Amino acid sequence: MYAIFKREFLSYFRSPVGYVAIAIFSFLSGFIFYSQFSTGAVNIGSEVISLRSFFVIIVPIITMGLLAEDKKRGTDILYYTTPVSLFNVVIGKMLASFALYAIMFINVIIHIIVTLNCGGVFGVGEMGTIIVFFFMAFMFISIGLFASAITDSQIVSAIVSFIMILITQLISYIADYIGTAIYSLSTSIGMKTDSAVNFKNAVRNAVAWFDPFSKTQDFRLGVFSVSALFFLVSVGILFLYLTFRVLEKKRWSQA
Amino acid sequence: MIEINNLVKRYGDKTAVNNISFTVNDDEVLGFLGPNGAGKTTTMNIITGYISSSSGTVKVNGHDILEEPELAKKEIGYLPENPPLYYDMTVREYLGFICDLKAVPKEKRKNQLDRIISLVKISDVTDRLIGNLSKGYKQRVGIAQAMVGDPSILILDEPTVGLDPNQIIEIRKLIKSLAKSHSIIISSHILPEIQEIADRVVIINHGKIAAVDTLTDLSRRLSGQSKLLMTFKGPVKECSSKIRTLPGVSSSVPRVSDSKINQLEIGISAENTSEVRASIFFMMANEGWPILELRSMDPTLEEIFLSITSGKRRV
Repeated sequence: MYAIFKREFLSYFRSPVGYVAIAIFSFLSGFIFYSQFSTGAVNIGSEVISLRSFFVIIVPIITMGLLAEDKKRGTDILYYTTPVSLFNVVIGKMLASFALYAIMFINVIIHIIVTLNCGGVFGVGEMGTIIVFFFMAFMFISIGLFASAITDSQIVSAIVSFIMILITQLISYIADYIGTAIYSLSTSIGMKTDSAVNFKNAVRNAVAWFDPFSKTQDFRLGVFSVSALFFLVSVGILFLYLTFRVLEKKRWSQA
Repeated sequence: MIEINNLVKRYGDKTAVNNISFTVNDDEVLGFLGPNGAGKTTTMNIITGYISSSSGTVKVNGHDILEEPELAKKEIGYLPENPPLYYDMTVREYLGFICDLKAVPKEKRKNQLDRIISLVKISDVTDRLIGNLSKGYKQRVGIAQAMVGDPSILILDEPTVGLDPNQIIEIRKLIKSLAKSHSIIISSHILPEIQEIADRVVIINHGKIAAVDTLTDLSRRLSGQSKLLMTFKGPVKECSSKIRTLPGVSSSVPRVSDSKINQLEIGISAENTSEVRASIFFMMANEGWPILELRSMDPTLEEIFLSITSGKRRV
């Protein structure tokens, strides 16, 4: 596992990928912090929350090559023909991306230090947003890794993970749209108005249940919810497992 | 030692490998031949654990590749058709990574890498990026990769494909030197190469074994009797019938003839061809028909290969 982690992590810095990701993150976090700082209303919590919206750009960049490039180059044969286990390959790759995220996060730590030195506040709510940030990073990286496992083209992998992450970010809107559609559909087939409204709400809530952002929104108030973190970790593990299955399936199905 | 028993690989209704069994003994070089799509690479991929078989077993030094994959894979070094190289790493970094993958103990690592690097002669490129190396060097790094971890078995899938003649000779020398301490399975389209390196050959066609034998036995069994090709000046028909009367000659068939040069294909049934050749020479000298060339036509691997795979002969 360590071998895979080391290779993948260092390879971020052998190509522009690692530098590009770090540059984007530094620019965004720096810009947000600067805007807050210039108005004198620094809030690390809202900075971290804003940075969560950029998972959709940064995660596909850093995960697109993880497995797709191996398949294209034929280097994935090493994972199958050496004593290393496929499970460790998946974990090692995930950790490499996660470590890159941790490195990017140094920006925010610098901002925290500056804030504290200038007499700003860094409380339990801010800590909560940071915890959520890393759990979400784990979840989205797992999704990106899965997207990288199902294709041998980096572009396709990037687009798939972009769309999947975008959907999770827009899931509350999507839930509304689906609810409205259900409502008009059920009234048009002759359902009573109040039961149609109930039906619509049920469907909308069911879809919105999957929204990781609303699940974790209380963390910034210092209200920590283990079930929300459990949800993020479960989705992450689910996608890691799917990635593992996709890799293993190759042994049985490839021509 | 590798034991392969009744290996079958199906893709849907297509059978890529159909009931293959053979054994590779210790310190033996086994040539693996077959036309494109015969199932060579599939078989090699199954032996190395890259893909699974539909049925049948592969045992590597007694370890089943599916039941004890980690122990079995430790014994095998594999060079696939496309060497699995990371172009963004230097040779030394890459080999270090392979050491990590194969869990080579830290204290043995330096010695082992230095030995491998000098053996495959890549010491002058160890700090260069693999992506910038020539094809020959890449191939050698690929072989080095297979040798990391001191496996007792090397499986090389077309190791000389795409190399220039000098490089081919060097890789061939390298494989010969490795053969002293490794069991090697080598597949190749370059038949003289197999002829030169291999102790035994396995020929497969349409996923089935067409022949397993040592090269000498195989050619003897195929030819049935040896043949001579004689180029000479003189009348064809007369010469042919005269030769047919010589003891030990079984047939004599004209091949090419024009006004100046004639060729006869002479079949010999005697054990020892040299007696027959001598008597042919004296007969021709007596008649005053100069022999321009007389050579034996032991079938090359190419001919064996063609005759077996085209289905004309069955062994």
